[in-house]
Amino acid sequence: MNVAIINYGMGNVASVDKAIKFLGFESIITNDPLEIQQAKYIILPGVGAFAQGMENLHKLGLVEILSNEVMHNKKPFLGICLGMQLIASRGFEPNLTSGLDWIKGDVIKIIDPKKSIPHLGWNEITETKNSIIKDFNNKDFYFIHSFHFDVLNKEDIAATVNYGNDYVAAIQKDNIFATQFHPEKSQTSGLELMKSFFSYYAKN
Amino acid sequence: MLKTRIIPILTFNGFALVKTKKFDNPRMVGNPVQAARVYNSRGVDELIFIDIFATKQKRKINLKVVKDVIKECFMPVGIGGGINTLEDINDLLKVGADKVIIKHIALLNPSFITSAANFFGSQCICISIDVYKKNDEYFIYNQIGVNYTMVDYINIIQELGVGEIILNNVDCDGMMNGFDTNLYNMVSLIAKVPVVYVGGGGNLEHYEELFTKTTCNAVGSASIFHFTQHTPLDIKIRLKSIGKPVRI
Repeated sequence: MNVAIINYGMGNVASVDKAIKFLGFESIITNDPLEIQQAKYIILPGVGAFAQGMENLHKLGLVEILSNEVMHNKKPFLGICLGMQLIASRGFEPNLTSGLDWIKGDVIKIIDPKKSIPHLGWNEITETKNSIIKDFNNKDFYFIHSFHFDVLNKEDIAATVNYGNDYVAAIQKDNIFATQFHPEKSQTSGLELMKSFFSYYAKN
Repeated sequence: MLKTRIIPILTFNGFALVKTKKFDNPRMVGNPVQAARVYNSRGVDELIFIDIFATKQKRKINLKVVKDVIKECFMPVGIGGGINTLEDINDLLKVGADKVIIKHIALLNPSFITSAANFFGSQCICISIDVYKKNDEYFIYNQIGVNYTMVDYINIIQELGVGEIILNNVDCDGMMNGFDTNLYNMVSLIAKVPVVYVGGGGNLEHYEELFTKTTCNAVGSASIFHFTQHTPLDIKIRLKSIGKPVRI
């Protein structure tokens, strides 16, 4: 089994790769369609702006390939941070951009004059349904984001985080799992969550 | 609730870790990779690694060392020193840095902050600000003849898209005799982005005082970890005892 970590010029692929290898799995950092098709799991990491992320995916011809693997072939998918946001219908960073549209909803700016933005640091999550993240209720994970995913169908939400308001911290729907926080940067809890992702889809 | 961050800072001279006092008298304090390994095993919230001589010596930070430091870390790492171009930032992000810490080029050419934030996202663009006090006002410390008051400079860099600020009072650096809480309170009135407050921590009482007298929620420290038996966990246990949210 192997893991394709999508390399589309949006940061932190090295950290994700390091975490996967630490867990004892094989991984490749790639944007090659064939390697993505052959992989058993797909991880879309990413840091940066929504519009730039989509532009890079389009430029590399990855939008169709990823959609086909995840939505049609139902390959287990982990989206991290920007990689979670890009599966939304639309983003607004910096301007209105269509997303992959696998999970309905918009990615919008966090507006809260009482809070410093970005939401940056360790914050505990609250699980909202039976999902991969259920055993991690109240655990701290590392967040860094100025936009949040306003998920349309609340049953897609797996966990929330409170920073003045409740924001979506994790999503799970069928073969799609995604986190706003960085599991690869969240020490033991993060590594254990990534391990749970693999074992969950190995079984299901 | 968002947790208070206690961030060890590793300052590097190109060969070894060093710790300064008032930005002078660098004293060798060990090996960066070993230090990163220890901090990772202690589960620290975050780590900052800066080559404090790179700009002065007109060289780039050693990417091999950066890579080896980051390899030890399963927590966020901020890297700084000698950053002058977007390519320098890209090099650091590529080896796994989560944030880059910029000082010199932002003072010389503040619009660089906007270019960097637009390209990489403002969340990874961290500006380091060193200040000193003169006649009851704080000014930006620098050796390139730039003249800003702290308040003006913070307003400017926020306008330009900075994601986080690391604020250091030069006169407190390495002195271990307490934080300048008045400075923090002044900054908290204008800061719209997270601020990591640095300079002066020498014992647990200093941290208790900082977190009681101010709204500070992130602190960066070096000397207390190098020169006393205290660990980041000791500080967190103390902060927890006064009701501050910490991740233990």
